Amino acid sequence: MKSNRPILAAVVAALPLLALAQDKKPDGAAAVADAPVSMCIGCHSIPGYQASFPQVYRVPKIGGQSQQYIEAALKEYRDGSRSHPTMTGIAKGLSDQQIAAVAAYYAGRGK
Amino acid sequence: MKIRLLMAAVMGAATLSAQAADAAKGEKLAQAQCVACHGKDFVTPVDPTYPKLAGQYADYLEKALRDYQSGGRKNPIMGGIAKPLSRADIRDLADYLAGLPGPLDNTKR
Repeated sequence: MKSNRPILAAVVAALPLLALAQDKKPDGAAAVADAPVSMCIGCHSIPGYQASFPQVYRVPKIGGQSQQYIEAALKEYRDGSRSHPTMTGIAKGLSDQQIAAVAAYYAGRGK
Repeated sequence: MKIRLLMAAVMGAATLSAQAADAAKGEKLAQAQCVACHGKDFVTPVDPTYPKLAGQYADYLEKALRDYQSGGRKNPIMGGIAKPLSRADIRDLADYLAGLPGPLDNTKR
């Protein structure tokens, strides 16, 4: 029994990779449903919510924004060509697939 | 209900008065500088990687333009367009664009 453990561990470790591989098509309904938006709604789904650092202004409305613009913006935050302390931190933790899913999610939430 | 209507009227008036300052100037600037890429309704940009601007918050639009000016946000096209704008230009532009109807929304989760 003991000898099976390394195999089991390898299989378990590979599971997330499998999930990622299946997630390649971000326009699928399932991928959008899995979009990691819990970290977005605290600022972007509160009308009038103001960012207080480093400057005070209302965080942009992103529901209904172009999907490819949202994607481009998140990638700019991730690679550093656009900087904002909070958004940089958030974008650095996102994969291409997750960025695509988040962008599709918000593009579909316009008026 | 009555209070809501009153609030809406007051907020509407406040928006109008803020825009009244130089709405015409903002519109003129926007029509000259922004429509070519962001679309004549500011909702249908010519490239899907360009943002829709109509109805976006004015203070966010101001911040974006200031960031393009300072280089905090890098984009060769927007950098070139933002550079010559004065603070008043930016405010007029942002107020004008924020007041336009568009699909941008932040009420849905």
